[in-house]
Amino acid sequence: MSMSLIIFIVVVIILVLMYNSLVSKKNQVENIFASVDATLKKRYDLIPNIVASVNEYMQHEKGLLSEVTKLRSDANKPNISNEQKIDLDAKVSSALGSIMVAVEDYPDLKANENVMHLQATLNEVEEQLSAARRAYNQAVTDYNNAIEMLPTNFMASAMSYKRKELFSIVEQERKNINVKELFN
Amino acid sequence: MKTRSELTDFYYKTLYPTLKDLDEKRKHLLYRIAVVGVLFSLVFLFIILSLVHSVDFIILALFAYVGIGSFIYKFLIKDYTLEFKQNVIKPLIEAISKDLSYNCHHHIQEHLFNRSDLFKKPDRISGNDYVGGLIKGTKIEFSDIHAEVKHKNSKNKESWSTLFRGLFIVAEFNKNFTTKTLILPDTAQSTFGDLIGGWLQSNNFARDELVRMDDNEFEREFVVYSKDQIEARYILSHSLMKKLLTLKKRSKHPIYVSFIGNHIHIAIEYNKDLFEPSIFYSLLEYKIAMEYVGTLHLALDIVNELKLNEKIWSKS
Repeated sequence: MSMSLIIFIVVVIILVLMYNSLVSKKNQVENIFASVDATLKKRYDLIPNIVASVNEYMQHEKGLLSEVTKLRSDANKPNISNEQKIDLDAKVSSALGSIMVAVEDYPDLKANENVMHLQATLNEVEEQLSAARRAYNQAVTDYNNAIEMLPTNFMASAMSYKRKELFSIVEQERKNINVKELFN
Repeated sequence: MKTRSELTDFYYKTLYPTLKDLDEKRKHLLYRIAVVGVLFSLVFLFIILSLVHSVDFIILALFAYVGIGSFIYKFLIKDYTLEFKQNVIKPLIEAISKDLSYNCHHHIQEHLFNRSDLFKKPDRISGNDYVGGLIKGTKIEFSDIHAEVKHKNSKNKESWSTLFRGLFIVAEFNKNFTTKTLILPDTAQSTFGDLIGGWLQSNNFARDELVRMDDNEFEREFVVYSKDQIEARYILSHSLMKKLLTLKKRSKHPIYVSFIGNHIHIAIEYNKDLFEPSIFYSLLEYKIAMEYVGTLHLALDIVNELKLNEKIWSKS
């Protein structure tokens, strides 16, 4: 076998490996995003219950409640892009966080069993969501590295792969969630 | 649960009469060991000198000397060991919590060790000093474990090597999960560096998928494998990673952790039999005392340290 044929075969193998690695990284990002999406949906499903439970007590936070309801209906619109979903997630996290902080000001609400249950369920969903976001960010980092680093960046630009956006990890998630506090 | 300093107080105050009594016995025992040791060595030397035939014979005789010698040693310290465990270790455990039971002969069941999937299946498992019960309502059990595997050479000669020796802890975990997540000491990355070590880890065919964690210090110390990237991160929250790092620093020994079947399994590789009485040093020495108190506290404090009692809603 001639030398040039060997070099050709080696080059082809390298190109195939590079191509497969890029495709598998892109698929990993998509797979994990599907799980993020499923968990986001779980949280959106909780919103009507939360709003209904706190609505009559929270007279001063009507604006906050209608904002979170609007964000939910935006998120449920068909054909929204992943970037929009990431953006909506950040807004919902912040709005729900504010509602939960506001609950602290209403002793009746804090003691309400239904609200306590919803808070705990939300807490659990937030934990799952945090894990899904972190997994997604790692998959996107691997993917972004591959499309920007040598030598896979040439192949990636030929396949017109673009950088993907990361979820911003809320500082609160880095802290230990104290379940006990929910019951105080 | 008592704090480490409360336990140290308990050791030096409440157990003091027992320790004083045991220390007297230890001194007598030491004297007996010395006398028996010298006599045994002299007899052995006499036999060897009178029967010496070849170098092979001397090597065989030396093996016999060590074998018989350690048998005699174990026989001599047997009663003292039992007394120490019943009068020192047992009260220490009871002082930590009334909901704990102790058995100096039992060990963690083999199926739990195998379930952890941290090591390959051992051919022989032994151990002692079993502690089991509840800490703040969370089920926990641990014991000394010595797991070994059998090897056969080309001449069909058997030999045994240690797979794991140290403390093995199993406790209920506070979150529900369905897949398996393993956390092992990061030997590849620390030996071969980030690039080659990282490549070796991601191509470990004996394990599941590599999970890269978003905590640099944790990544340097451990390597995580799981079937589910999201569930591994659901279990390993940022706070749990910090707590496992603290646990590693406190134990000063390699740590292996696995999450399987809603339980956490922790193997701390001390490479020695723990909770055995000190023969050559006084039981009242601070360093010796801390070995018992510190190890017991470390094992049982895992429930507090990792907040295993604070259950997530879905678990209750």
